[in-house]
Amino acid sequence: MTTTASEPTASESAANGAGSNGAQATGPFDELMSFAQERGYKLDWLRKAEIWGSGEESDLSRGGLLLQDLAGSDPAEVPAESDNLTGRPRGTQPRPVAPRVGNYRVRTKADIWLRNAAELYEEAVQRQWSSATDIPWHTLTELPDDIEAAECKLATFLTEIEFVAGDVPGRWISEITPEYFEPRMFLISQVVDEARHLDVFRKRALANGGGLMERNPRAGSDVFAGTIDSARDFTEMSAKLHISGEGSVLTIFRMGERMAYNDAEKMIYRLAASDEARHVAFGVMHLQYLGQTMPERREEIHSYLDEAERGLITGTNQNPAANANPSNAALAILLGGGKDKIEEGQKLALAMRQRQVKEYVQRVTVAGFGERFEEGRSAGEMLRAYASA
Amino acid sequence: MTTEQRKDSAPEKRDPDITSPLAASYFTDFSWMKRSRQWGTRAPRGPGGLTLEAINIGVYGDLPDDWDEPSRMPRGTYPVAGAVPLGPAFISKKSRQWADHAPQLYEESISRRWSTATDVPWESAHDLPRDVELAMCQVATELSHIGSIEAEVVSSWLELLSYGFHEVKLCLSRQVFESARQFEGWRKRALLNVDQLGLESPGWANRMLLESRVGWTETCLALHVLRGSYLLTLLRYLAAYGPSEADRALAGGMVADKARHIAYGMEHSRYALSSEPEFRDSWNRALVGAEAAVNRDEDDHVLQEALAIVFGGGVRGMDAGMELVQRMRRDWTRAYLARMDWIGLDRDPWLTPRMRENLDGPSANGTADAAGEAAG
Repeated sequence: MTTTASEPTASESAANGAGSNGAQATGPFDELMSFAQERGYKLDWLRKAEIWGSGEESDLSRGGLLLQDLAGSDPAEVPAESDNLTGRPRGTQPRPVAPRVGNYRVRTKADIWLRNAAELYEEAVQRQWSSATDIPWHTLTELPDDIEAAECKLATFLTEIEFVAGDVPGRWISEITPEYFEPRMFLISQVVDEARHLDVFRKRALANGGGLMERNPRAGSDVFAGTIDSARDFTEMSAKLHISGEGSVLTIFRMGERMAYNDAEKMIYRLAASDEARHVAFGVMHLQYLGQTMPERREEIHSYLDEAERGLITGTNQNPAANANPSNAALAILLGGGKDKIEEGQKLALAMRQRQVKEYVQRVTVAGFGERFEEGRSAGEMLRAYASA
Repeated sequence: MTTEQRKDSAPEKRDPDITSPLAASYFTDFSWMKRSRQWGTRAPRGPGGLTLEAINIGVYGDLPDDWDEPSRMPRGTYPVAGAVPLGPAFISKKSRQWADHAPQLYEESISRRWSTATDVPWESAHDLPRDVELAMCQVATELSHIGSIEAEVVSSWLELLSYGFHEVKLCLSRQVFESARQFEGWRKRALLNVDQLGLESPGWANRMLLESRVGWTETCLALHVLRGSYLLTLLRYLAAYGPSEADRALAGGMVADKARHIAYGMEHSRYALSSEPEFRDSWNRALVGAEAAVNRDEDDHVLQEALAIVFGGGVRGMDAGMELVQRMRRDWTRAYLARMDWIGLDRDPWLTPRMRENLDGPSANGTADAAGEAAG
């Protein structure tokens, strides 16, 4: 079946300045409406589309047709509040009879928004990778037992915390009105990124002789309040997950070359770091937006950062480099080159912790909350001690 | 007591403070190095690389019927005494989440990754006849809305599924991602040439899925098998009769996505029913209401008319297009009933008159028959 091209095309209509509204339409369009209605069709919906565009361009050299390039993507057009309870995405025309199904907790733009969520989502789509085929698993060779145990210990820690990093953003997806779909789309991309991290570290543990090791003894030990899991405010969750938690893991991934013993491990850390960088960027950009648009919440945000810093230091659930954690000893063994070189490894682990703190301070500063480091608000002493012990 | 006196006092003996930044000095116990339940594990690589299925070896492939660990302990790790349980009650039974194909579906989803930004020849969808463009905008708007809701539905269940069956969580995380692709791909299509989206989906099936809290298996039947069958057929028709190469490519890509979702739903539902056959009648009964919600949406004249214009090549071809719409309704209903039959649910005694009407299909017409077969 072929389409009949008897009617004006989109670009012809645009060139003629014609709207698609029946009253403004060109003659043939009115004739079409009459034709259909005589046959019992309503076509009342057809008259609702009133504005013609000239066609979005898809420039492959610029990444193709991107979400952020579509009509209605100008952040200025995104409403500050949403009373959309039917679950329709932003810009969709409502139906009076549609049931209210959206029990959305997040309906205020400042609570979720950031400038570049659509860009981060599209980048995530372009940079999807496969743990099955994009890791050169054939480069794994038998390692000394202490190194293999340390690799597997770290992999076990990471595969467990990736459950948190996937489930918590997943929980928020259905809590955010689709009026603000861009951040939702990013969180969805994060869920699949974390799934891939979970699977790649599990695969590493089971690919070269060690197996999964003992789980993190302190996993979930903060269950009552003030955690990534328990946060009832999105920004609180994001500050703790994206900036503190994932930020500390990103630092470790970026130093992966130092603790990798083959190309497979190097590639795992490299690809995971690329994903993690997006997640951290999301957190920083959201915090920046919130800080700029809701100054009345700054003190509250500082209190979340106080808790985030304690989490960074104690490592509960999120930071394998934290002291007094077997995964920290594993890191030191990997960095030093063996159990017998753990002293040397501890020095490098110390450098890792220093870099974690430095990068954390930088991220919080970029997010617009750097005054906490100048005014003594930050857990500065603890951070300094963490980075020097 | 002076400062000096305090210094001279013997320190109180106590357990290390793990929150202390200096606690690293306490860490000299390397007993963890021996705590692997299966030292010597070397998962084999196959033609598809190192897959999730390949690492399910030995204790790591032991799947209990009930995962009663109340924390996020990964399956096969060496347990720690005193782990603090998490808050939400997990769905712990294997029968209420598992599908044997979940690991393969996960890997397949990744290996078939594609992008609506770069893998759709968007330039082919400019300059369509105006009535067709507006109709396509309406169809795309509704499909986009449905994708958005499906992402909400599946993501809201993710954390309730047990950590012992991580393959299912991984598989479903890909479904959320692919539902998001349905949302953004069709949004791009709707706004390609028109600066305004169409009407939202009527919302009855969306509500049924969002408000389904009775159980994951029941949600699965409604989401994957029932509404999934409807959507898969619709996408197949668009892949065959979309007005441009871009429309056909977009729908075609989503056919593959949706087929995986249905495959999980069918496999899981069949497994659940074989494990708990006593639920047969209650699921059959519950599906009557779910079917009614889908029927109510498909009875909406807006999408019907828009599809008729798209399939018929314009308003003047609507009569022929509407025959194809009717054919599509018959096809999805047949496919749905066949899938339910495979699962072990005989819907015939439960079928409402409305569903039977779908089965009757359009009046015999050679063109529509041929077209329906091509789409199927």
